[in-house]
Amino acid sequence: MKGAGPFLRSYGGPALLIGLCVGLLIFALWRLAVIERDMRIEATENMLWVISQTQMEALRLDKAISDHARGTADEDRVVLRYALLLSRLDLLLQGPQQRYLARIEASETIAAHDTAIRNADPETVTGDAAAFAVTNARLEENLAGLHATLNRAANDTMVREWEAIAERLDAYRAAVWQVIGSVIGVLAGWLMIGWRLIANERQLRRAEEERSRALTLEQALRRERAVSAYYRDFAAIVSHQFRTPLAIIDSAVQRLVRRGDAVTAADVARREGAIRDAIHRLTRLVDTALLAGRLDSGQVSVKPRHCDLAVIVRESCAQFRALNPERDIRFASAAATTTAWCDRDLVDHILANLIANALKYSPESAPVELRLFNTGAKIAVAVTDYGPGIAPADRPHVFDRFYRGETGGHSEGSGLGLSLARDLAQLQGGDLGFETWTGRGSVFTLGLPRMFDPDTLPGEEGTQVESRLVNDEKEPAR
Amino acid sequence: MTVSFAGFLDRDGMRRRSGLGPLVAIMAALLLLVAGGTDARAETPILQITGAVANQTPITLTRADLEALPQQVIETHTVVTDGLRRFEGPLMRDLLAHFGAEGDEVVARALNDYEITIPVADFEDYDVVAALTMDGERLSPRDRGPIWIVYPRDDHAALQDIRYDYRWVWQLASLEIR
Repeated sequence: MKGAGPFLRSYGGPALLIGLCVGLLIFALWRLAVIERDMRIEATENMLWVISQTQMEALRLDKAISDHARGTADEDRVVLRYALLLSRLDLLLQGPQQRYLARIEASETIAAHDTAIRNADPETVTGDAAAFAVTNARLEENLAGLHATLNRAANDTMVREWEAIAERLDAYRAAVWQVIGSVIGVLAGWLMIGWRLIANERQLRRAEEERSRALTLEQALRRERAVSAYYRDFAAIVSHQFRTPLAIIDSAVQRLVRRGDAVTAADVARREGAIRDAIHRLTRLVDTALLAGRLDSGQVSVKPRHCDLAVIVRESCAQFRALNPERDIRFASAAATTTAWCDRDLVDHILANLIANALKYSPESAPVELRLFNTGAKIAVAVTDYGPGIAPADRPHVFDRFYRGETGGHSEGSGLGLSLARDLAQLQGGDLGFETWTGRGSVFTLGLPRMFDPDTLPGEEGTQVESRLVNDEKEPAR
Repeated sequence: MTVSFAGFLDRDGMRRRSGLGPLVAIMAALLLLVAGGTDARAETPILQITGAVANQTPITLTRADLEALPQQVIETHTVVTDGLRRFEGPLMRDLLAHFGAEGDEVVARALNDYEITIPVADFEDYDVVAALTMDGERLSPRDRGPIWIVYPRDDHAALQDIRYDYRWVWQLASLEIR
């Protein structure tokens, strides 16, 4: 039981407390139930009245007998009073009354009186005046004894009942105090539980704060790691790319130097083309690297406005034609409207990257085609090359940073260009996708919004954009 | 005779106290007089009903009169005796209806001058009996007779209360309807 220890530590206390509260409540309820059950007046508590009624009947029989002796009462009255006294004695000597008298040691005496009185039954001698008088005399004798006995019984009963009442009140009082104590205990328990709940809540909030602080730290750490990874890759790959054009320039200049005075104008023109080409490549590479660095550190600001995309594309084409006079770069527009909501500088950069790639990955004899068209709410530029196409293994990684196709056979390229181009397209609320056919070529399509849309666009000028590096996910290529 | 008399009485008719009630009561009283036996004790009046009864005339009843009414048995414990006791006698509501008693309460008086007011509703709500016998033996003035008003204490928890216990009038001698 590995989990038992911590479980008991964190839940044992509250569970014990709740158990204690429930136990105290049950105890209090039980005490109340006992009091409720006990709060019932027993008939025997009426004993004083029963005894006094018997005493009264005895006295009334006594009086009936005297009245009869004086001639003011008839025999029937004596017989009735006798019957009523017997009824009272019968009641006293039955059931709970008898048991009560037994407890105060009066039952035997009263039973003896009862027997004696029953043995002198005036009803059996009615009509016989002499016998009636004798019976009455015997009755009077016994009644005197009964009076005394009943008096004592009444005394004892009163004392006993008062004692019983006092005891019962003591018991009630004790029970009530126990109930009050239990309720106070339960309240204290509740307070403790409440206090614990509040303490737990505060602890949870503190833990939450610590976790969010840790998360922030982790994010910062990831950013730092990404930046350092970027520079590691940059150093490994990009520095090589810087060296290639420098080597071209260097070798061209060396040849010119070696020839010395024998340099002809044609030689210079040939080398000049190679040098300018290398410088142009180097410039673009520096631009791209700097732009990627700025993008990663969130320093690229997008300044979109309405631009005529046809003009931008045409100018880009002209630029590349001038640099690559031997290549066939075509431009056609099928768009009804050519106005886009974009940042011209960024679009220039994306187009330059796409055209340079198309030129690089297709044979010199094949044309590179640019086409402008409308699609939905977007205006799109498709750049088509007739090269070998992108190998299936490379397709998912086309937009991965520093990823360079292994099957293309080209060692040029930083692996930054397409990744950066797509990031820049998305910054403007646009997108960049591609289609490719092995052996036939590829089409890269840049889509840009036709007008300002606050949902997808950074509308305000100079909006700072969060570094793409922090976001690890790369959307799959279309 | 007694049996047939009990048979033709429409109980519900009596309960509703229709205009026929007093007439039936008088007829019944006449029949009862005829039915009375020669037993001297049976002819001794044991219960008087006064107050709001038919014709405002006090009614005097013998044991035989009471025995002629439909008899009801109650088995119950009492507060002054031990064990389960079996009581038999007419229902109080039958007794009152039979003599056209109309009132809200009954003042019950005993031979020993005990006097208690009982709401008539008690007799409507519970099968209260004017018991003539206990465990098959006639009640006598020497114990708790001749009539003991007995509530079905065991059947209703509400009746197990001292506020009902004091309505158990024994040695009942008269009823005054108010």
